[in-house]
Amino acid sequence: MKQVWCAFGAILLGLLLDTGCTKSQAVGSASGASGATAPQSSEAATPRNPLRNAYFGDLHLHTSYSMDAFAFGTRTTPEDSFRFAMGEPVEYFGKTWKRIAPLDFLAVTDHAEYLGVVRETINPDGPFASSEWYTMMTSKDPKVSAEAFKKLLGSTYMNKPLPEFNDGKLTGPAWERYAAVPDKYNQPGKFTSFVGFEWTSAPKAQNLHRCVIFAEKGPAVPYTAFESVDPEDLWRYLEGQRKLGLDVIAVPHNGNISNGLMFDTRDMSGKPLTREYAERRMANEPLAEIMQAKGQSDTDPQLSPNDEFADFEIWKYLLDGSGIAKSATGSYLRQAYGVGQELQAKIGANPFKYGIEGGTDFHSGIDTTEPNNYAGSHGNQDSDPRKVVTATKSVAGEPPTALSSGGLTGVWAEENTRQSIFAAFKRKETFGTSGVRIKVRMFGSWNYAPEMTKNPDWVKAAYDGGVPMGGDLPVRAGSGGPKFVVYAVKDPNSGNLDRIQVIKVETKNGKSQEKIFDVAWSGDRKPDAKTGKVPAVGNTVDVKTATYSNSIGAVELLGEWTDPSFDPKAYATYYARVLEIPTPRWSTYWAAKLNLPPNPTVPATVQQRAWTSPIWYIPAGN
Amino acid sequence: MREVSAGIVSQEHEAVAEAPKPAFKMAVLRRWLREPLLHFLVLGALLFAVYSYINRGRVGVESSKQIVVSLDELRQMEIYFESQWHRPPTPQEFQAMVEDKIREDVLYREALAMGLDKDDTIVKRRMAQKMQFLAEDVAAAHEPSSAELKAWFDKNKDKFALPSRISFRHIYFSPDKRGKNAQEDAARALTRLAGQPVDSKAAESMGDRFMFQDYYGDRAPDAIAKEFGPPFAVAVEKLKPGSWQGPVESGYGWHLVFVTTVIPGRIPAFEEIEPDVKTAWLAEQKRRAWEKAYAEMRGKYLVLLPAPPAKDTAQSPTPVPKKEVPSASGEGPL
Repeated sequence: MKQVWCAFGAILLGLLLDTGCTKSQAVGSASGASGATAPQSSEAATPRNPLRNAYFGDLHLHTSYSMDAFAFGTRTTPEDSFRFAMGEPVEYFGKTWKRIAPLDFLAVTDHAEYLGVVRETINPDGPFASSEWYTMMTSKDPKVSAEAFKKLLGSTYMNKPLPEFNDGKLTGPAWERYAAVPDKYNQPGKFTSFVGFEWTSAPKAQNLHRCVIFAEKGPAVPYTAFESVDPEDLWRYLEGQRKLGLDVIAVPHNGNISNGLMFDTRDMSGKPLTREYAERRMANEPLAEIMQAKGQSDTDPQLSPNDEFADFEIWKYLLDGSGIAKSATGSYLRQAYGVGQELQAKIGANPFKYGIEGGTDFHSGIDTTEPNNYAGSHGNQDSDPRKVVTATKSVAGEPPTALSSGGLTGVWAEENTRQSIFAAFKRKETFGTSGVRIKVRMFGSWNYAPEMTKNPDWVKAAYDGGVPMGGDLPVRAGSGGPKFVVYAVKDPNSGNLDRIQVIKVETKNGKSQEKIFDVAWSGDRKPDAKTGKVPAVGNTVDVKTATYSNSIGAVELLGEWTDPSFDPKAYATYYARVLEIPTPRWSTYWAAKLNLPPNPTVPATVQQRAWTSPIWYIPAGN
Repeated sequence: MREVSAGIVSQEHEAVAEAPKPAFKMAVLRRWLREPLLHFLVLGALLFAVYSYINRGRVGVESSKQIVVSLDELRQMEIYFESQWHRPPTPQEFQAMVEDKIREDVLYREALAMGLDKDDTIVKRRMAQKMQFLAEDVAAAHEPSSAELKAWFDKNKDKFALPSRISFRHIYFSPDKRGKNAQEDAARALTRLAGQPVDSKAAESMGDRFMFQDYYGDRAPDAIAKEFGPPFAVAVEKLKPGSWQGPVESGYGWHLVFVTTVIPGRIPAFEEIEPDVKTAWLAEQKRRAWEKAYAEMRGKYLVLLPAPPAKDTAQSPTPVPKKEVPSASGEGPL
């Protein structure tokens, strides 16, 4: 009799399980739709702009679903992240934060490894309730909980998954919950959300991380570094997803702490890169993240000794705090542009033909990239302003003040929809910023008319007669060098603009060199007769009060530029960099609020900036 | 092993695998590998055979000890495998998956028989959750009529309020072109614009080229703030429509602004937003259904809580406030 009852129970439970699962999804989306989105029907629809608008967003953000963010005490959820990006207030470490200017799009990219599982360890009713994890993680003794976190983080650095966390029965439902969130916040024309995750490959703590961004729906399961730390295996996964109908890209970041691995000329097995490798890499990852909390990956002063603006938000500490990345070579985009061209001459394809974007990599769940509205980005590591302003050591051996206030991705797209923005990613009509909302675009051509920008419709002429950033110059016409138009508008909530520069990386006979040209600048400054460099814009910052004045600099800059030293036989990558006038660094705002001197380990003022995706020139016959 | 586990499916698998001659067997296996559909059909036929056999009455196996795996479930397993590995499973892998599922069912039933589900927090929580889904399910089953939604909308209009929308034209005075004089130039221009209409010819010749638009139609204050900076949006919201006013400062410089229309914040008509109303209605029905169902269930119980040590000793029927989730350590490892 008892056995009969059990069988009946099992069947009943089976039925319930089915209804339970489908219902839970229905509940989620229904309540989200009513809670998060206001009715849209009567808002004036913004028409598609064929000449494209700039939209800002972040494709790299962590919440408590990431085991390290959770370890740092972050408790925000992906829902919080989307609400915050849309301009709603969100609580973080006891304070309520709200963006001054909301974002236009967002992907939350929690670490795929143990995604959403570690936060269960402190749940008294959760799957870890009767395990030692619960005891350790909820211990009042910070040393005990720190040990537990070390064990967890260590398992990912060592790539030895702990079976109790890497359990499909826990990761499966967590992923399902997580991947359903973005749809709730996607409002075509107003706000775009993407499903994403981070593949956390870091052999020997050398960073090879990639954020994976899906065009529409998310995958059945994410791909973890536990499965493989080799990017080529990640690409295989991406190719598989595309075959299933899910378009997707990966975005590598933090070459600066890859110790030369990110833009290595050999693959993981030590073999020289092939044409097939190069083509696959570019098909799978059109963009690279140039700037984020853990510094910029444009260039290192060591690699670009003639670039007086290269010394900006430098971060070199390896992920596990074991030391400093030793190799600058192979770690930065600018150099990789040259190396990529050298490889192209040899193997027939450029493996580093990256467009540019920026991200935060904040582990706070909230994109506080506005330096005067920065919340700290790594949970309890930098949540206490007094400690942070005075500290000289913490996160990964670096003082938390060394973290930057992040980066943002800008895109030029017809409208704020998944389709339009994802298409911009793929054609690389993108730019990266250091967290501010500078708008910048660049076009290239052989035959733009002189002074074409005098015409108010110059953007249309630029598209019609040339290529936007992210593209290749067409086959050369005429005898002169390529002509470029660059245009930048300041962030209305930040400093004026200092200058626009074009950075050229040229490759000939297997050797590359970089050259920087000032193309447009504010005021009536004259380039130095000897160096050709435009003198510094000045500095209005009052460090003590963390204030500045827009009495210097420009609201918008527009430049037409022809490469004066063009060599038709050499490969060339051209990208633009826009600099703001100096403004207080976030750490200076924090210090002023506390009436303390700014932290001596970092500069008190910075020149926020933006970088465009390049335009490439490939010599005829290649 | 197979006998003991009563692995119905696997027994039949063996019957297939052992019957053909070795060479033929390889061919079947290969085909099996390449043809998922055939694979399903064969399995389906086998299951049907097994099912008929059981129904005919099998000595020693009572129905409570039957584990029935449906064709749908098998297909699900295969789809799941493919989504992870991008290829169909080999027969061995497939067999292993089926065995896994059977093992789970067997252990589950044995565990239930031993009463291991009692006092298990995870089981408790999951079952409690299912009760909630069931209750909500009842609410979701009812398809509301338009009239029903309308009546509900009339009572809950505030939830659907729309922000005010402003249309304005502006003339830009660029600090890049005018330096410190931008504000003064704007103020001087305003005196010449007094009483002029929004499309005044005089206005056209004043000011500088603006990088975005000269006219913004039907913008919510948020959208204006995003484009020009928050202070500008606040200032424009306060302007009375119908005349040139300013200068108003934005993140880009100075502006003279002519607000043409202000559509005050309003509640849209039901017809405009019926789908949104339905979504919100459904969410509330679910919430209510759950609250009601729970209140009924709760009413059947008398809850005895220990009295707080030094205070009043009366038994309190109110639930204990939810425990704060303990926060992680104050100092992380890194």
